[in-house]
Amino acid sequence: MEKIIKLTNITKKFPGLVANDNINLEIEKGEIHAIVGENGAGKSTLMKILSGLYQPDSGEIYIKGKKVIIRNPRHAIKLGIGMVHQHFMLVSRFTILDNIILGSEKSKAGLIDYELAEKEVTDLLKRYNFELDIHEEVGSLSVGQQQRVEILKVLYRGADILVLDEPTAVLAPQEVKELFINLRKLKEQGKTILFISHKLDEVLEIADTITVLRKGRLIKTLKRNEVKDKSELAELMVGRPVILKYSKEDIKRGKPLIEVKELIVKNESDRRVLNGVSFSVYAGEIYGIAGIEGNGQKELVDSLMGLLSKESGEILLNNVDIKNLNVNEIKRIGVGFISEDRHKEGLVLPMTVWENSVLGYHRDREFGLWYRLNVNRIIEHCDNIIKNFDVRLSSMFIPIKGLSGGNQQKIILGRELIRNPKIIIASQPTRGLDIGASEFVHQLLIKARDEGCAILLISADLEEILALSDRIGVIYNGEIVAEFESKEATPDEIGYYMTGGKRKVEV
Amino acid sequence: MKKDLKIRLLEVFSPIFAFIIAVLLSSLIILAINKNPIEVFYTMFKFSFRRIDSIAIILYNATPLIFSGLAVSIGFRVGLFNIGVEGQYLIGAFCAALVGFAIKGLPSFIHLPLVILSAILGGMLWAIIPIYLKVKKGVHEVISTIMLNYISLSLIHYFIADLFLDRNQKVVLGLGSTLIRMPKIMPSALMPKMHGFLSLFGINLPNHVYLNWFFPIAIILSCVIYYVIWYTPFGYELRAVGFNPIASKVAGINPNSLYIKGFLLSGAVAGLVGLSDLLGYFGYMDLDFPKGYGFTGIAVALMGKNNPFGIILAAILFGFLNRGAEGIQTFLGVPMDTVVILQALVILSVVVVSEVMIRYIRYLDKKGAKI
Repeated sequence: MEKIIKLTNITKKFPGLVANDNINLEIEKGEIHAIVGENGAGKSTLMKILSGLYQPDSGEIYIKGKKVIIRNPRHAIKLGIGMVHQHFMLVSRFTILDNIILGSEKSKAGLIDYELAEKEVTDLLKRYNFELDIHEEVGSLSVGQQQRVEILKVLYRGADILVLDEPTAVLAPQEVKELFINLRKLKEQGKTILFISHKLDEVLEIADTITVLRKGRLIKTLKRNEVKDKSELAELMVGRPVILKYSKEDIKRGKPLIEVKELIVKNESDRRVLNGVSFSVYAGEIYGIAGIEGNGQKELVDSLMGLLSKESGEILLNNVDIKNLNVNEIKRIGVGFISEDRHKEGLVLPMTVWENSVLGYHRDREFGLWYRLNVNRIIEHCDNIIKNFDVRLSSMFIPIKGLSGGNQQKIILGRELIRNPKIIIASQPTRGLDIGASEFVHQLLIKARDEGCAILLISADLEEILALSDRIGVIYNGEIVAEFESKEATPDEIGYYMTGGKRKVEV
Repeated sequence: MKKDLKIRLLEVFSPIFAFIIAVLLSSLIILAINKNPIEVFYTMFKFSFRRIDSIAIILYNATPLIFSGLAVSIGFRVGLFNIGVEGQYLIGAFCAALVGFAIKGLPSFIHLPLVILSAILGGMLWAIIPIYLKVKKGVHEVISTIMLNYISLSLIHYFIADLFLDRNQKVVLGLGSTLIRMPKIMPSALMPKMHGFLSLFGINLPNHVYLNWFFPIAIILSCVIYYVIWYTPFGYELRAVGFNPIASKVAGINPNSLYIKGFLLSGAVAGLVGLSDLLGYFGYMDLDFPKGYGFTGIAVALMGKNNPFGIILAAILFGFLNRGAEGIQTFLGVPMDTVVILQALVILSVVVVSEVMIRYIRYLDKKGAKI
């Protein structure tokens, strides 16, 4: 078969790191080629080279048999390479049609030729079986639909090689299925698809060929049928065997420690973002909240931590009504809090590691009095966290922004868990972490659970919810629409409720 | 570790690079007015550092700028841009002048502290308005402080020229006219000069030098602020809120409360800016009371990298420039405004160079992060 892309000896160095080390990759026309690897494996760098954002230091690129130098993204699209970004680049107030033609409008007498554009885009939709109303505003579309608009954008520009950067990260299971149907259709029509992901199940489902990158090197390129199972792929990715199923002790359910009753929260525009949420989490269990982001998870977490005032309802943490308590007081009744965005909410990046290791606890007696921080004691404390939570760093006296995401998260975990809280509220605890660090975080949470902690886990990653939770609540549009024992739950069923399937009849 | 050292060095040296660039640029301007830049700078140095009294004058010049730089830097620490130091110090100085002349018969050890306290309260008073507007109404502090600067200026003019005008000035017939000024401050409220103290060490300053005890007070205050910022929970919270108010809030620190405390502290320090001139030189407040320290303080804080000790050095540099300006005007006929240009260039190049440095350091950081 024809090689549509051929990369030979591609090397890209950044000061102090080799992002791509002598990569040789061949991609056949009309295949779905998955590129997998952990964060920092060099996936994005490679794709940026292909889309003209970076120039390789050495090596050659052949597109359709011809040697090329890809000067910039515009040039890439001319060569037929279209990038579908993870973060959509759409104008939400424009219609689908406007968004698709934006930047490559064809004009007639100085005006945009809408007639022609509409005809072309409609043809495009028909040819690839996309069901969209092109006159709808993009802002009112679901995430999955917006992604389809992104794909249409590059198709409209004549791309026959589509590069999709983590396309499923933002999608619900049903939407992933629809995306895969679209991708297969595109493949039938002879398009070549490069699919970047670290979700192995999905890769195994969709890809014809899989290339594994690790630390800038190409480890292996295999045909789909050469791969036995997920763990084999994970091992190639990480370079050592990986635990995909966690062993947990049998549940020893204790007293309820988190009780939320009929919680109603309104946002600034007076809309109910939480609409009568009730659930309980018991000592010794992990309660997972599954749901597509933006369905009230953030508001739920903020209400639990006293950061958001509620309209009505009751929250008991460790049998204390937190109505009049602030975040400090809530933490003092034994709540550890891992916030969803560590850069924005969890850490003060320009401050040092040791300073961050007491953020929120810096007024505790053991760390000093009002007129003096006991720096020595804090350093000792930080050292403790570093040792117990396996933080890898050159020095605790540097700003914490110099640490990798995994190590930053370990500092947060250490800060919150070293006090042995009875309740842990963990929001997206492994977002952006690589497999190794995620595994570490998961095991910490399971250990806390086994020791009798009540854990509320909020995650957009359904796999994570399924792997850790004892019970699962599905949140949709500010309501818990279904609750499962984790053993009974299947991804399909959860996904059904996540996307607004009917409320499950109370069991 | 080596990389950290490199970054540290860059941070320390960037103001010096900036100064060198400013000197080079202003040389061009000096050339443009047909003078020899080397001669001009040589004269500035010679004039400033050859005699001990000249050095004392530099320190006297630096005193208000240290206070002003500190005030601005406290605002910066908590993430607020206090452009209003200018207005705050004028109001502070006015309050001090008022308490200084209106209360009579107090011993100096009560009256002087009382006057200083009034200056502090005056500065704080003028800082309450913008921070209240910011916290409660969301008005950006830059806008409100700029407006309040104008208001304060007009207000003290009104106070000096009308409400509190000293109408009992005796003028020798046929010699001059009365000044537009407030009544003279009681001697019990004036700040003594350092001459007596320094003569113990064999340093004898002539009478035309006005170096007074506000200079050591400024140095001590710098040390205190350094300690507060880096070694107290309050300073920790100031910095945390300044860098990341959201994370601070999640950690149980109330950003609004810190904004208020930080800004009032900034205003309190601003209240002290005018005192060295008021209580150590003029002895009264008149229409020509020195203005502009608040704005120069922004430059001092920038150049000093918000570090109290950096601010002392930057303030002394500006004090030196002012002193040197007198020298080149007297000896070379170069207008003093040349030094104003030099100061402006220093400020500009500090901003540009530190921006370049920040980017370079960020680049180094990134490099480090990925290893």
